[in-house]
Amino acid sequence: MRLAEALLALFRVLVYIFLLAPIAVVVLASFNAGNFLTFPPQGLSLRWFVTFLQNDVFIDAIVYSAVLAALATAVSLVIGTMAALYYVRHAGKEAETVRVLLLLPLILPEILTAIALLFFFYQIGVGLEHRIALFTGHVLMTLPFVFLNVTTSLQGRDEACELAARSLGASRMTAFRRVTLPLIAPGLATGGVFAFIISFDTFGISFILKGTGSAPLPIQLYDYLRFNFTPEAAAVSTVSIIFTLAAVVVADRLFGRKG
Amino acid sequence: MSRRRPLLLIAPAAALIFFFVMLPYINVLVMSLRMPGSEGKPFDPGFGFEAYAQFFTQDYYLSALPHTLWLGIITTAVCLLLGYPLALHIATASRRWRGILYGIVLSPLLVGIVIRSYGWTILLGNTGVINKTLKDLGIIVRPLKLMYNDFGVVLALAHVFLPFMVLPLLSSLQGIDPAIGQAARSLGASRLTVFRRVTFPVSMPGVQSGCILVFVLAISSYVTPALIGGMRVKTTTILVVDALIDQFLWPFGSAMAFVLALSAGLIVIAFAMLTRMKWK
Amino acid sequence: MTEVSLLSLVKSYGGAPALRGISLSVGHGQFVSLLGPSGCGKSTTLRCIAGFEEVTDGRILFDGKDISRKLPEKRDIGMVFQSYALFPHLTVAQNLAFGLEMRKVPKAQIAERVARTLDLVQLTPYAERYPKALSGGQQQRVALGRALVIEPAILLLDEPLANLDAKLRDEMRGFIRDLQKRVGITTIYVTHDQNEAMTMSDLVVVMFDGAIAQAGTPEEIYNTPSTEAVARFVGNANILDLPAANPGAGTIDLTLPGGASLTIPAPEKPAARLGIMARPEQIALTGAGQGHLGGRVTRRLFGGGYIDYEIATDFGVLAVQTPANVLADEGQAVGLLLDPARLWPVARDAAA
Ligand SMILES: Nc1ncnc2c1ncn2[C@@H]1O[C@H](COP(=O)(O)OP(=O)(O)OP(=O)(O)O)[C@@H](O)[C@H]1O
Ligand SMILES: [Mg+2]
Repeated sequence: MRLAEALLALFRVLVYIFLLAPIAVVVLASFNAGNFLTFPPQGLSLRWFVTFLQNDVFIDAIVYSAVLAALATAVSLVIGTMAALYYVRHAGKEAETVRVLLLLPLILPEILTAIALLFFFYQIGVGLEHRIALFTGHVLMTLPFVFLNVTTSLQGRDEACELAARSLGASRMTAFRRVTLPLIAPGLATGGVFAFIISFDTFGISFILKGTGSAPLPIQLYDYLRFNFTPEAAAVSTVSIIFTLAAVVVADRLFGRKG
Repeated sequence: MSRRRPLLLIAPAAALIFFFVMLPYINVLVMSLRMPGSEGKPFDPGFGFEAYAQFFTQDYYLSALPHTLWLGIITTAVCLLLGYPLALHIATASRRWRGILYGIVLSPLLVGIVIRSYGWTILLGNTGVINKTLKDLGIIVRPLKLMYNDFGVVLALAHVFLPFMVLPLLSSLQGIDPAIGQAARSLGASRLTVFRRVTFPVSMPGVQSGCILVFVLAISSYVTPALIGGMRVKTTTILVVDALIDQFLWPFGSAMAFVLALSAGLIVIAFAMLTRMKWK
Repeated sequence: MTEVSLLSLVKSYGGAPALRGISLSVGHGQFVSLLGPSGCGKSTTLRCIAGFEEVTDGRILFDGKDISRKLPEKRDIGMVFQSYALFPHLTVAQNLAFGLEMRKVPKAQIAERVARTLDLVQLTPYAERYPKALSGGQQQRVALGRALVIEPAILLLDEPLANLDAKLRDEMRGFIRDLQKRVGITTIYVTHDQNEAMTMSDLVVVMFDGAIAQAGTPEEIYNTPSTEAVARFVGNANILDLPAANPGAGTIDLTLPGGASLTIPAPEKPAARLGIMARPEQIALTGAGQGHLGGRVTRRLFGGGYIDYEIATDFGVLAVQTPANVLADEGQAVGLLLDPARLWPVARDAAA
């Protein structure tokens, strides 16, 4: 019994290491002073971050991804929150249908959704012009995360609070603004952060729908990695990881502890 | 309070899903029934099963299908094996530890799939961390083949999708009242019996959704097999993207995607029925 | 002060009726309780009045004006919810101010009215606290204050005491009743606790299965229930199957087992099967062989100021409540004395 438990504990530790190792290795590699991805690093240095900062392609890609993610998140937050309100408060018998519909983009294979969108936009004559297809794809990918998070925080809240506000003379809109919104702010923040990260990192949609010209970060990174093995990619990845961590920390500080 | 107003809440999301998910998917199905194109055109006028015939008669494409499904099943099994102890651990951990462990499990999600796959190439490559260390220690002479094969792909896929296994498991396990386990033990059940008779059956919905999620994600992933498998591990998804994006074979690629989706759907349904029959 | 009338209110959820024609009128400043078992439609009635549910059929009048199509925020109601539904992100004072802000009351007036109401519900020291940091009873009073500060036309309360412990519940019962009398506001109060309904109300409305079974003063409901179900729901009731002959003229004659006969008032509505109700405290114990019925004590439960007896008779086991000084041992043969003036004919339930 003792032995079995010790083995189980060891196994768990190994799995936790397994989870963290590839990420840790990327971050460590980015501080490598050497020319190639050697391990252990040949001394510590920030040279690959400097290289990265001088590389317009990656800088552009990061900015491009951040803007795209911010816009997609904004749209998803509005649409997803409305849908969550409907699902939790008004859907009644269709609730299950609504949930499945909203989660479709998450359940369906991303790459297939991307391809389906590609055909669709070509056939309605829009193609990949003006990045409409790419943007639509990103909104689709992020929508389920906003929906799930807002739904959870709405379900944890007593509907009676909204009704109380109505009985006190608040219109539907005012009750939402003054009562519901402050109460679900943490859910909105979590959903927003999730959406931002998903959009920032998503591959399939961007890969298929990027069109010509500048491309989001994961695509630039992928293209680069197919032919290069310098630690510059690791530096880019580290910056990207710091970006997402910052988003999480900021959201947590702003909304995490309240409510 | 009119009944019409709340519908406005769902209208934008419903429209988005209908026009940009459902219609495009139906369109793919229709596309697979179109005539394969000639002279560089993506497709020719007319309808038929031409594209499906092409798929089922070319061994290069056909043989990738069972291989892809197999990789998906193995990845799912590995995730379940690695994920269940974690979920159990987190569900029963103290409040403070729970937060930390939860963070570790979620951390891969915060890091893009490209970066994670890249991390695995650093670990698994011929001159990568693992091979280098083993060589320096004198355990091996020639590097182990860890990458550019099924082993590396499954390992990396399992890593990428492990959070999707742990999260549903966790939510089903957290619903279990610890008092149930204590009650069972007070009635004389051993820990193992409690697990077999109480914990596992109750977590079955989590096992189901976790397995289905990981399986679907695994067989349809592109980056990980492409980066870790190099060009040596051909999955149907990679072939689909090749056919559609590089070779412009729209009906053929669509047919291939549809066959993949259909066979995956059959496996998922079979799995769901098998597990339900046993546990409900 | 407002008069509320419900005119054959019907509410169904996708075909399943929750209310099957509720008609009721509540006078100026009256305190009315809706009493009934779980699922009988009390909350639904209240939610229809508040405007949270659209009525399927029928009308709701405030002072004769039809408001059944009005939005909830236009109805001028104050509502207290079972869960209190306090706004957790607002302080006590802000919770109270909310309704006044919605009514665009000037700032200075808001402060004054909030202060006055805080005083009324005895919460002045807690004005700046958040609801989380209040006890159940205090939260309850915030909910009351928030509903009252807007000086609504009517006050609706849905099981407001259900979440409190027994002692606090008794206290709050008195508090709410006094407050209502002082403010003089028309009040509709939902409860499934017959004690609460009896002690607080001017009018008790007993509901079963989406319909009103009986409406009357607490005394009427208790002493002259119209059906066996009402009799049993409000307090303990013995229902005796006594052979009855109806000589007309508003009375009926009962024949007791010993041959003695009693004359009691006849029911208003003719019923298929009549039973005679006797409340436990309306039956007296005497020596064996005396009284109207004979029986044997099967159980004795000491209740402090009273004793509950269960006595096996030819009419089944009867509950009898006597003052604590009336003593009989378990197993002892006793006589039961009925009070003809307090016997009451009720329609027996179809199932009984
Ligand atoms: N939104 C709804 N959809 C469908 N049926 C409902 C809905 N709300 C209430 N009902 C049904 O209407 C009936 C009356 O419900 P209501 O909430 O009014 O009961 P109640 O008397 O308040 O009971 P309780 O004492 O348990 O609160 C019940 O049978 C309930 O199942
Ligand atoms: Mg109720």
